[in-house]
Amino acid sequence: MTVDKSTNTSTVKSHTWLRDVFLDWDRTQMVICFVLVVLLALTPLFINSTYYLGIIILATIYAFIGISWNIVAGFTGQLLIAQIIFLAIGAYTTIVLFNNFLISPWVGILIAGIVSGLCGVVVAFITLRYGLKMDYFALFTIALMVALRTLFLKWDYVGGAVGMWFGLTNPSFDKMIFANKAPYLYIALGLVVIGLIIQYRIYRSKIGKYFLAIREDDDAASALGVNTSRYKMVAVVIGASMAGVGGGFYMMYVTFIEPPQGFNLGLNVEIVMAGPIIGGLGSLAGPIVGALLNKPFAEIMRGALAEGRSGNSLIVYGSFLILTIMFMPRGVTGVLHTIYRRIINRFYPQGTGES
Amino acid sequence: MSPEIFFQIIVNGLFTGGIYSLVAVGLTLIYGVMVIVNFAHGEFLMLGIYVAFWAFTLMDMDPYIVVPIAFVLIFGLGALVQRGLVQRVLDAHPLNQIILLVGVSTLLIGLVQFFFSAEPKAIHVPYETAVISISGLRLAIARLVAFFASMIISLLLYLFLHYTRTGKAIRAVSQSRDASRLMGINVNFIYYLTFGIGAGITAVAGVLLAPNHRMIPTMGQGYSVIAFVVVVLGTMGNFIGAFVGGLIIGVVEAFAGFYLGGDVKIIASMMIFILILLFRPAGLFGRRRT
Repeated sequence: MTVDKSTNTSTVKSHTWLRDVFLDWDRTQMVICFVLVVLLALTPLFINSTYYLGIIILATIYAFIGISWNIVAGFTGQLLIAQIIFLAIGAYTTIVLFNNFLISPWVGILIAGIVSGLCGVVVAFITLRYGLKMDYFALFTIALMVALRTLFLKWDYVGGAVGMWFGLTNPSFDKMIFANKAPYLYIALGLVVIGLIIQYRIYRSKIGKYFLAIREDDDAASALGVNTSRYKMVAVVIGASMAGVGGGFYMMYVTFIEPPQGFNLGLNVEIVMAGPIIGGLGSLAGPIVGALLNKPFAEIMRGALAEGRSGNSLIVYGSFLILTIMFMPRGVTGVLHTIYRRIINRFYPQGTGES
Repeated sequence: MSPEIFFQIIVNGLFTGGIYSLVAVGLTLIYGVMVIVNFAHGEFLMLGIYVAFWAFTLMDMDPYIVVPIAFVLIFGLGALVQRGLVQRVLDAHPLNQIILLVGVSTLLIGLVQFFFSAEPKAIHVPYETAVISISGLRLAIARLVAFFASMIISLLLYLFLHYTRTGKAIRAVSQSRDASRLMGINVNFIYYLTFGIGAGITAVAGVLLAPNHRMIPTMGQGYSVIAFVVVVLGTMGNFIGAFVGGLIIGVVEAFAGFYLGGDVKIIASMMIFILILLFRPAGLFGRRRT
């Protein structure tokens, strides 16, 4: 836990703005994130191949979706294993609005966020009302995912087993269809920046402290007067709406969704879980660092071992998850934090306010 | 509904349920002893069915001969997973345990997909479509054998747990890890053994499915979910509960399949699952979990 920063920074004499930032690990993480965002924004200048650009765009989308899961699973420790439910609902909402009501995806994605958020309210209400925690909560979300997959397979309005897609018409800004890939990257980066800011604001606020207290010990937090149910629900709803927005944009980028893809545990691991876990669940930089490591590495493996075989990316994600939990449970960001602390302790032995 | 159809549905349900029981018994055993939900459980069934496929296509071995081989192989794998991975997170945050097992599941699916491809596979044995009729009931031989084999294996496991020293040690550890250790039980060995047995009998369930079941690498996830349903229904960690729960879910699915159609029947078990989770999370046989 971080201690009150103001007293500590004032002990560092003649502090500058820069020192203020770098003596604070949270802010340092944000700096890392924004450096990564800027680097990503520059990639279209150097990379012409649509294939590589496609991977970078997907990694960026995964980073945004990872942030949404990080808020639920990382901050409050709720095992929303099947977050992909909200993603799929967002994607379906966007495409239904686009195809059947001719609503621009720019608006559609926002509505998707609201719809997913409402579904989050329902899920959170039911699970909290009946006190489902940890593994029971995880099982509940998986059961819900399987049930929804079956429902969507039978629901003709959303295309049933065939799924939904939109025809590639002429590029137009209104329809979020672009001739080349760079605009998609910039929209995804815009989402990531918004996501990072939301995440940081929550983390540094009182609500963020409540979230962490709930993660560390639910009952103790409750005993100290934290309304655990309310804040668990807040976390699920924020996570679900962000996932809905992410799902809507993912839909516009991949142009196609079908129930077996939309409600799929394997894809859930790839899109939602792998990034934050490998990057460091519960940390600020985790989702983006993880997503940028995972997706490109999985693609390299796919290329290296391909020869018509599938399953490489699953092998990569599976091994990454196992190795992370076994050897660095706090993820890459955790390792960075250790290094960071060594450096800081060396130059500022009086401490940084970090315990 | 005529009585013939009624009994036919019940029999079909019990046949499916027998396999569910076996899978769920493995899951409940692991949960009972180590208090972890094995999110990779269905993958052991999937590995079992692929062992059968591999033995059949490569060495022309009948699936029923493969049963002991698959058991030993997957028993070993399960014990290794326990020893190398799960053992080290037993005291960690449940989040880490579940993520680890999701990782194991993903890795196993990936490996099978890599070596056998994601295409559906099936093996064709001579008795594939053989059916016997008993007073109007039509019983597929392969499913009949699978059902009785599941019953026998569950019974043997039950006897093992209740009447051998090792079995008693497993039950002792499930009651109290610390007290068992004080009584001189090698708790870690019991853990390896339990995970091995749980994985092994689940693989056997897979082999028993092999003669008339199409296989894909992701098939285990469906069985994981069913096993979760059964185990929660029959109280987590309760052997008899898992056994009976499996048969119940099998019959419920059969009726749901009859009324709703084959591909929607899973909705029925999910509804039961959600209702049980919400209203009686301790299951049919249990006191409330602490």
